[in-house]
Amino acid sequence: MLTFTEEILLLLGDDEGAFLPIREHAFECALAGAALMDLAFAYRIDTDLESLLVITSEPTGNPMLDAVLARIASHPDAADTQHWIRVLSTEDAAAIREQALASLVEHGILERREERFLWAFGSVRYPTLDNGAEREIKARIARALDDFIPDPRDIALISLADACQILPELFPDRNIEPARIAQLRRMDLIGREVAGTIADIQRTIVRAAQAQAQRTQKRLLSLSIAAAVGAAAVLLAPRIPAPDRFDPGVLELFWFDGFWQQWSGYLLLAFSIAGLVIGVAVRKRLVSGIAGLRRWRLAHIVIGVACVLALFAHTGFRLGVNVNAALMGFYLATLLSGALAGVAIGAVHRLRQAGIGRTGQPRRVLLWLHVAAICPLPALLAVHILATYLY
Amino acid sequence: MSSKAVFWWVGTTLLVAAYVAATMVVGGDRRALLIGRTTDAHHQIEMACETCHAAGPFAGAAAAETALNETCRTCHEDELNAADDSHPRSMFRNPRMAAYWEKLDARLCTSCHGEHRPEITRTGAVTVAMDFCVACHSDGEQDVRLDRPSHAGVAFETCATAGCHNYHDNQALYEEFLVEHAGEPALKPGPVHATAARLRALQPPGGTALERDDAIAPAAALADTTVLARWTGSDHAAAGVNCTACHAVDPAAESGPADIAARSGPTDVAAQWVETPSTGTCKSCHEPQARSFARGRHGMREHPGIAPPRNPMEGLERIGLSRVLPAIVADWLADPVPPTRMTVGEARLPMRGDAEAHRALDCGACHRPHDVDTALAAVEACASCHDDRHTRAYDGSPHHRLWQAELSGEAPPGAGVSCATCHMPGTESRDTVTTDHNQNDTLRPNEKMIRSVCLDCHGLEFSLDALADAGLIGRNFTGIPAVHVESVEWAVRRSAADRPGTAR
Repeated sequence: MLTFTEEILLLLGDDEGAFLPIREHAFECALAGAALMDLAFAYRIDTDLESLLVITSEPTGNPMLDAVLARIASHPDAADTQHWIRVLSTEDAAAIREQALASLVEHGILERREERFLWAFGSVRYPTLDNGAEREIKARIARALDDFIPDPRDIALISLADACQILPELFPDRNIEPARIAQLRRMDLIGREVAGTIADIQRTIVRAAQAQAQRTQKRLLSLSIAAAVGAAAVLLAPRIPAPDRFDPGVLELFWFDGFWQQWSGYLLLAFSIAGLVIGVAVRKRLVSGIAGLRRWRLAHIVIGVACVLALFAHTGFRLGVNVNAALMGFYLATLLSGALAGVAIGAVHRLRQAGIGRTGQPRRVLLWLHVAAICPLPALLAVHILATYLY
Repeated sequence: MSSKAVFWWVGTTLLVAAYVAATMVVGGDRRALLIGRTTDAHHQIEMACETCHAAGPFAGAAAAETALNETCRTCHEDELNAADDSHPRSMFRNPRMAAYWEKLDARLCTSCHGEHRPEITRTGAVTVAMDFCVACHSDGEQDVRLDRPSHAGVAFETCATAGCHNYHDNQALYEEFLVEHAGEPALKPGPVHATAARLRALQPPGGTALERDDAIAPAAALADTTVLARWTGSDHAAAGVNCTACHAVDPAAESGPADIAARSGPTDVAAQWVETPSTGTCKSCHEPQARSFARGRHGMREHPGIAPPRNPMEGLERIGLSRVLPAIVADWLADPVPPTRMTVGEARLPMRGDAEAHRALDCGACHRPHDVDTALAAVEACASCHDDRHTRAYDGSPHHRLWQAELSGEAPPGAGVSCATCHMPGTESRDTVTTDHNQNDTLRPNEKMIRSVCLDCHGLEFSLDALADAGLIGRNFTGIPAVHVESVEWAVRRSAADRPGTAR
């Protein structure tokens, strides 16, 4: 039988070995919570209103769970669930993940594949070899969400998936009723202690993930909004008029002096290439770990903001004509769709609370628009550069 | 994105880039590549990119700039010399002028004239702010206000916009010239444009005049009695130019008017008959006219300075690809699509709706080739296409009334003012007088017209005022100028101050 940690990893992964883009820090919290749930179901831990207690430190036989249990048991003071979720998610999540993935590889469900992208991005992926296990888990959850009497483990797994807010992603074609989730939680199918522990773990995951998410998402959201506003300004703001006096200012030099235009163009090209490379690495999950993914995604958006600034220096809100107008159009579409996708990711909670994009559709649509707008850019850029340097 | 999609994406990108690169190097429709609207002066030749961008591919900025400026001189140097350029390049190349290079590098045409920059393109294709004189004439020994109290309160942006100064051609503003012509009446007595009078009085060149029965042409052509009648009454027939001289040129015959008799009798007229002779045929006899035509907006595409597309075979030979090219590709590279003539539809000035948009601007566009009526070419031909305010106002204008009087014989030759009188004035050298077919020679700036045209009939002050009044130009000089250019008064006052007792 698979552990909760292994099951949640299977649910969060896709066939290519990439993970679902769940909200910031929820992934690590889910892993920590899953490990605690496994220990609770193995009757090794229990919770009360104030602390998480070790019932027995007898090993479970699973090295990963035993390591977590030993860590909790060796702690001198009693600590609550929130403390352990925080500690395990920040300090042990990577080890929990690696051990669980290694176990899945041993079971012949996943395979380990090391990849390298453009020398800069190294990654290890776990594509699915046998998706029977994942299908079976999803089928169990689906049955539980319908009106069947669920297994206690299914209730725990649904609680975990709900805490990660991945149920809409797992079942995009069905409407997940919050009332049914609440009903499942209330079912008297699990022992009181275990049920209390699961509820506690779920609440803690949500709180911990939200606290962490608020910090990173605020950054993501503000940068994305800055990029979106900048791109919209380039599109909509009236161009800054040409100077009508002989001695031009510094800004005019950027827009009318070939030398400065050339250098601002180089800068824009460098930013664009960096943004493209990082974007591909993030999109294809070619970066190491979730933390790496977050860092590179933030870097991608920072570069997007830098692109807007370089574009302003290069054009001064001028949209150009002919091929240049087409290049500008697709470039702005790339920036706008990317920035709005960043907003959709950064404001995912607020959007979901407002009933927008429960299945992540706005983000997916914007990301595809982003990719579609990028497609003609290399050809148009090549023409723009060739036209400059051949003549 | 799958590997297949990436493959298609990269492949399409490379194909598009290769196609565009081929268009740039070999030729073809490059309009989509223009980085900005070309100036009105050059839009006719905007597809012949290599003409101005003469530096090789990936040339450095300095080489590209040098090549650009050399091209400017290729086409405009004669014009600048003729205008006695006030700011010649040679003056600024002197190292003593180095201090001015930083302010405005007048050694380079491109310092003031950029292309494809409509946003900053001002009158005269100037792409610096119109107060550019401030760069050199606002301080030091070149400060214009030093010995000209009249200029004390005058703003620099008005130097070139108030009808006074032109950077290059200041012939109409020379102080001696202004003083010499001060006090002239608006309309001189017995006004006649001398060169136009000579042109009107021209007789066909020597030759045996031909009659209707002398026409040599295939029977089908001879059956067109209208054409035959026109030719019989034309200067061509009077000069002994038979049908075959244009329609069935013997390739063995020498070109040029001197050999006109030899061009009149190929062995097999029907076999060599060309229904629509090329402009090259006209040029063989009317070379000076063809030369000046190629300098104007109508015929600029025929200017000898227009460069053909780059020869890609040289580059392909260097990398060893020339031998592996299929013959059809090699042939196309060797002789890509030739440039077309300027058409009415490509004009930027307003054109009449009933003008044939696709009509190519060749000799026949203005001259009916069989009757060669220069009076028709001087007005009706222009008005059959141009539809701007100035042209529309010509009918009924004082100049038009004079033209009608001349045509009816009520006024002497040269008294009438046609479109050609002002825009295509004759040029005289030694014993010959030739119509200048560069319609723009006396425009941009329009003060260029003063010496060669206006002063034959009008006083200088009136001419300066009239040409500075855009409204009056729009009304085709019906009325009196509402603008007054004070150049003459200022020059007279300065002259009087310098030489008391001699000035008026």
